[in-house]
Amino acid sequence: MKSFFESMVNIVRGMGDALWFLCDILGHILCGRIRIGEVLKQVYEQGVQSVIIITLTSVASGMVLALQGYVAMSRFGAKEYISHLVALSLVRELSPVFTALVFSGKAGARITAELGTMNVNSQILATKTMGVDPVEYLVVPRFLGTIIALPVLTIISEIVGIAGGYLIGVYEANIPGAFYINQTIKAIRYVDFFSGFIKVAFFSFIISWVCCYQGYFTRGGSLGVGQYTTKAVAYSYIYIIISNTLLTKFILTFWG
Amino acid sequence: MIELTNVSKTFSGQKILDDISLQIGTGEIVVILGESGTGKSVLLKHIIGLIKPDQGHIKIDGQDISRLSERKLLNVRKKIGFLFQEGALYDFMNCFDNIAFPLREHTRMKERVIKEKIQKILKLIDLQGVEDKLPSQLSGGMKKRVALARAIVLDSKILFCDEPTSGLDPIRSRDISDLIRNVSKELNCTTVITSHDIKNSFRVADRLILLGKGKIIADGNRSFFEQSNLPQVQEFIS
Ligand SMILES: Nc1ncnc2c1ncn2[C@@H]1O[C@H](COP(=O)(O)OP(=O)(O)OP(=O)(O)O)[C@@H](O)[C@H]1O
Ligand SMILES: [Mg+2]
Repeated sequence: MKSFFESMVNIVRGMGDALWFLCDILGHILCGRIRIGEVLKQVYEQGVQSVIIITLTSVASGMVLALQGYVAMSRFGAKEYISHLVALSLVRELSPVFTALVFSGKAGARITAELGTMNVNSQILATKTMGVDPVEYLVVPRFLGTIIALPVLTIISEIVGIAGGYLIGVYEANIPGAFYINQTIKAIRYVDFFSGFIKVAFFSFIISWVCCYQGYFTRGGSLGVGQYTTKAVAYSYIYIIISNTLLTKFILTFWG
Repeated sequence: MIELTNVSKTFSGQKILDDISLQIGTGEIVVILGESGTGKSVLLKHIIGLIKPDQGHIKIDGQDISRLSERKLLNVRKKIGFLFQEGALYDFMNCFDNIAFPLREHTRMKERVIKEKIQKILKLIDLQGVEDKLPSQLSGGMKKRVALARAIVLDSKILFCDEPTSGLDPIRSRDISDLIRNVSKELNCTTVITSHDIKNSFRVADRLILLGKGKIIADGNRSFFEQSNLPQVQEFIS
């Protein structure tokens, strides 16, 4: 009973720390304590590092969607509408979620591991002793890097995924190319795009928060870096999947 | 002028600093001696405000460090050079950028001037040619010297060095001790060094302080230490 109570207290305290840390970061951003050069460096590092794997995932999911869609739609004699299936699934659901999951495993893990290593090697303390604010110099750029890179990657993923579907649609299902593209453009309405985009915005916020927090508060040497990095990725996955379910329900209720 | 009054600190039930009071005058070079684990690093981290005392006050030039907000502390620290025991160089930057970091952050020096300055410092620490190397490509002793260069590059009036000579060979230890003394005397810089290397401590210090069990056991100059008949002191210097 006592240990249950203690662990509850610890959880609440952890949430308090994480919230406080988030307020600190947002405070820096609102006060304009942003180092543009560092942010761009992070966007580049996090974004470029993930481009290949996200492209691969997206092409594959676009193709698989089209292949499965071909089978399913053919039963109703509606194979022309593969393009709708592919485009809507990607834009509304799959691209945001897949990109966020892959991104947290690559760039998110990297953020935590970097900050964690700096922490256990006293580099964060050293930053303070040199009169430089470590949140401003080390955390805010990583935080904003994720917030900027992930939406861009998601758009890349949507385009590439639709291209993957196009390949199958045109060469496998023999739908005319121009028709396929036309149908795709018709299929995606603003609401589809934005409902996906709200999700991405939310996910990028979660990933950057979780991964920066875990890294900045890493303890326990190189062992700790491993543990906290794994934790950061696991938490990101869980929060992405749970919030995706809630957001989907929420968005469907308000926009249909 | 650095002033500690009744500073105490307990870590998980263990009293590391026990009611320590201490004054260090401007331009003085003080070496804090003590066995491993007595709290030398903890004491230094208190003086620069990385750790807050449970009780007591720490003043630098009249300003109470233990009361300042984190943002004000950052401003105070711009005037202070600090060498970490483990070096703590940024491992994503090469040595040049590491040493240049404080200059780029806190001065408006032109890149050309920075370059000249760093060449000069690298010569002082006998490490010409490491500019483009990453810290991970250096030996432990080399890292330490680069970290020392970073600590002194701003010509601060206050310098803290946590074990500047541990991990160095005897000749380098001597050279680094002399370097710290020269730099410090040239700038009339208040210097606090921790060490358990008694020979070089005698070489560099104006005044030595022996720490044990959270208390100051002995405090005096070289001849005081050599003539002292306190058992802890004799044990330490023999
Ligand atoms: N952040 C901390 N949290 C808990 N305990 C700590 C912390 N920092 C230091 N300690 C404890 O304080 C004691 C003194 O540590 P400190 O690093 O000051 O020793 P030291 O005198 O510098 O030793 P060395 O000569 O080996 O560097 C140690 O027992 C250590 O376990
Ligand atoms: Mg120490």
